[in-house]
Amino acid sequence: MAFVRTRGLQGYITGDSPVPWLAPLVAMLVVFTIYPLFYNIWLSFHEYAPFKRQLVYVGTENWSTLVNDPRFWEALSVTFTYFFVLLAIQVVLGMIIALLLDSDEPGFGLLRGLLTLTLVIPPAITGMMFLLMEDPEFGVLTYILEAMGILSGQDPILATSSTALAGVMLADIWQWTPFMVLIFLAGLRSLPQEPYEAAMLDGASAFQTFRRITLPMMSKVIAVAVLIRGIDLFRAFDYMFVMTSGGPGTSTYTLSLYAWQQTFSFIKWGYGATLSLVSLVLILVIANLFIWIAKVRW
Amino acid sequence: MIVESKYRRYSRMAAAWLITALFVFPLYYWGTTAFKDAKEIFSVPPTVWSFSPTLKNFEEVFGISFGFLRQQEVLPGGGNFYMAPRLWDSIVVAVFSTALAIAISTFAAYALSRMDFRGRHHFVAWVLSTRMMPPVAVAIPMFFIYKDIGLMDSYTGIILIHALMNLPLAVLLLKSFFDDIPREIDESAIVDGASRWKIFRRIILPMAKGGIAATAVLCFIFSWTEFIFVLTLTQTGLKTVPVVSSSFVTSTGTAWGNMAALGVAAMAPAFIFILLVQKQLVRGLTLGSLKQ
Repeated sequence: MAFVRTRGLQGYITGDSPVPWLAPLVAMLVVFTIYPLFYNIWLSFHEYAPFKRQLVYVGTENWSTLVNDPRFWEALSVTFTYFFVLLAIQVVLGMIIALLLDSDEPGFGLLRGLLTLTLVIPPAITGMMFLLMEDPEFGVLTYILEAMGILSGQDPILATSSTALAGVMLADIWQWTPFMVLIFLAGLRSLPQEPYEAAMLDGASAFQTFRRITLPMMSKVIAVAVLIRGIDLFRAFDYMFVMTSGGPGTSTYTLSLYAWQQTFSFIKWGYGATLSLVSLVLILVIANLFIWIAKVRW
Repeated sequence: MIVESKYRRYSRMAAAWLITALFVFPLYYWGTTAFKDAKEIFSVPPTVWSFSPTLKNFEEVFGISFGFLRQQEVLPGGGNFYMAPRLWDSIVVAVFSTALAIAISTFAAYALSRMDFRGRHHFVAWVLSTRMMPPVAVAIPMFFIYKDIGLMDSYTGIILIHALMNLPLAVLLLKSFFDDIPREIDESAIVDGASRWKIFRRIILPMAKGGIAATAVLCFIFSWTEFIFVLTLTQTGLKTVPVVSSSFVTSTGTAWGNMAALGVAAMAPAFIFILLVQKQLVRGLTLGSLKQ
């Protein structure tokens, strides 16, 4: 380009320098993410002393507590179970429903519209909806499952440690499978038709067509959907908070919920900060590794 | 064009409607709970189809009278479950945090879309990585910081944190909308001697109007549904609808009817908004990465 750009301080006024454009964003991000991050690190080396009514320096005590805390390891395992199981279910289910809805028939636009509705419900209210439906006495879901013989009358879904996590997962599956469906559907709708016509002439089966044509062409779409859904699954908090508060025992304690409860219910400020840092580092590493491997670009 | 057989066509339609019905059922059940009497909510087996609708729950929650409550049962606006002010809190927080997020991110998105400066990709990666932070890892330190500087329990505090939460989405999404505008248009304006500020105001903003509106709608919805920041950073001063719902669980039982009524009122505006942005929805949900 042949036009002259102003540089240095003068560029701030003419707008040729990116600095004035980005300054408000950087200010917000520094104040609300970088500063809290350092505050959290500082907090993880302190603990609230109830008798002195103040924070005292405890060195690396919180970190050694963490390693020896069985509840931390259980929370970690619940978090990863929740993450992997739901990611798998939502990707597979999302793809099946998307393939089903990939049609120009009249009425399918309405079905797509109906599926978007779950995405805008506050997750805390979704938790309440499923709490009502899974109530041991008058819940409609309990009633249906008992009628089908899947559930016996004695075990309430959310108060039995073997089924509580599944009961919470159900809310997540209901609310966020449509997220996958809509993204996959948009991907499917934009695929070129020619490869499919060629495959049909060659007599390929429906599964072969999906495996050899649809999946490879959808890989970028799937990667983006997995990344964004994965981030949110790892941070899961709302459903457990309203449905089970982590119980029974530790069966629905995610890392986020455990960190929050240590901080605010048990006044272990330093330990809660330590736990939240672990969760932060884990998600940053996993997500960035995924971005790097799957070559997702913005 | 690939043509389906009649049999496959009908079975696809049947399966599609059935699956959608399964997803809509919980909404139907919650929606009808809002219009049920306590007797019908607690009945075994659960009443699904036939019940006598009442507006009692809405009367209690919003302090208005449709004549379903007897006079001595509640004074409009004075009951335990009177929640109209909480709806107002939700609106104030969502509107102002959306405005703030959009104001900050249109400028940033312009620079990221139009200027080739060193480290631009790293900058985008940094913005994206703030989207990955678990809310607890921000909420815990912010609780202490807000306590120190007196932002606890204030509109300002919640508006700031909700704007922050929406910034990565808004910046990346707006960048993708700005990228859609051909560069030739603003480059010819530069040749004509227009400054960057002028191009931004006269060309980019008007041309990306639809995209900015869609971004604002999504920011509004995410603020409207947010839970953990409001839970952590408020005590009694303000509460948004998702957080206040948990206060319906009392020692004598849960006020399901009232909670459902509040839930319905909270969902209705979000449903209308989301139907307005159907075209940009997938782009929005993937932070501008996938275009429809």
